[in-house]
Amino acid sequence: MNSQWKIIFPFVVISVFGASTRAIAHGVRMQARETQAIEVNAEYDNGDPMVNAQVTVYAPNDPATPWLEGTTDNNGNFVFTPDASQSGNWSVQVRQAGHGSIVNVPIEGNQAQAGGDSATPESSTSRVMNTGAANFTPLQIILMGAAGVWGFIGTALFFMRGNKTNSELRRSESQR
Amino acid sequence: MRTQLLSLAGLIFLAPGIIIGCSVDQTPGEPQAQEQSQPQAAAGTLQVRANGEERAREGLVSSDGWRITFNNLYANLADVTAYQSEPAFNPEQGGEIQAEEKVVVLDQVQTVDLAQSGDGQDSVLVAEASNVPPGQYNALSWRMVPATEGPAQGQTMVMSGTAEKEGQTINFVLNIDREFEYVCGEYVGDERKGIVQAGDTADLEATFHLDHLFGDGEKSADDPINQGALGFEPLAALAQNGNLQISTSELQSQSPQTYQQLQEILPSIGHVGEGHCREANTQTVG
Repeated sequence: MNSQWKIIFPFVVISVFGASTRAIAHGVRMQARETQAIEVNAEYDNGDPMVNAQVTVYAPNDPATPWLEGTTDNNGNFVFTPDASQSGNWSVQVRQAGHGSIVNVPIEGNQAQAGGDSATPESSTSRVMNTGAANFTPLQIILMGAAGVWGFIGTALFFMRGNKTNSELRRSESQR
Repeated sequence: MRTQLLSLAGLIFLAPGIIIGCSVDQTPGEPQAQEQSQPQAAAGTLQVRANGEERAREGLVSSDGWRITFNNLYANLADVTAYQSEPAFNPEQGGEIQAEEKVVVLDQVQTVDLAQSGDGQDSVLVAEASNVPPGQYNALSWRMVPATEGPAQGQTMVMSGTAEKEGQTINFVLNIDREFEYVCGEYVGDERKGIVQAGDTADLEATFHLDHLFGDGEKSADDPINQGALGFEPLAALAQNGNLQISTSELQSQSPQTYQQLQEILPSIGHVGEGHCREANTQTVG
């Protein structure tokens, strides 16, 4: 590459990518992904929703520090998406004017189950993952595998026993 | 030979099966008993404090307009116990505390004055327990029994102070000798309480909501707290020459309706911050 091209090449690069940058600035990028959301509904004993109540969410890994803060909507609802990598109890505290309650939502991986009362999470739009082998201990898995192998061996021994019996029968018939 | 082989193989696979079958049931996904193999974690300290809130320390305006200030507000606490409950205890759903850890913070009887600020804090120290296992103490229970000595002797609570309204002043002493047992869930407030870390101190709070008894004059008359409150007028009606000293038994004979209302309200005044408790003797949740 001669010195003339050494000077021209950077300008070519800048002009090409600079033009494309201006074009992207007017574009729209969208991404869609499925997440687990926890919806909390808070109401007073008389059924009135706790409107604009203070909400504090505590994650299981650091239960003393608020993980998220916000307020309920006009229907007393508050929706948040927990960090699925933090398994354990996610605690949601709702307070307003001296009234408050706290509810725990157990999260295991991507699996959420809701429970509670006055601040009850009404729905957890979760896709339940099949954890499969994760539910068995290593010893149980080894035993199940060994039992399967023994099934094959036992079956083979059974048929071997049957063949011998037939040959013994044939031998006894020939002797007669 | 083949029979021996079968017997041997059967024993090989039967033995671990028996071991597993006879082992303790374990819920799928439940953490295994790692605690047994781990070394004993360092301990912490757990305090339990009592708090009548600013209504006890600074006074309040009752639902019927009486300005009440307290000279003393004695509460007599006993058997104060903190728990690490899993699942978390909810006093409104019934059931019992499922304690993984249980710490008796106070096994005696302690009288505290909720009208006085305690050791630089709003709340008053009831008792503390050292060498408690770390973790989150998300349930608390305590009893209130008559004091055997001290300024509240014979009473579970003593409220003494002054009530003023439209130029009228009443000096009152209200003695309550009824026993209570409060079983509470997690503390609800500005900060999360009861999380003990190794070598550190955490606290829990037995909170007393006096607005359940006297109401809140700053709220409307149809506010739920005022609709259920006694106010002070029924007590003022029993005063003579600006003085009222009355016990619950005397109240029962002098004003059965006021006595009955008081009996219905008192089980609901025990809280943990804004968190609720169940009064075990009446199954009342407040």
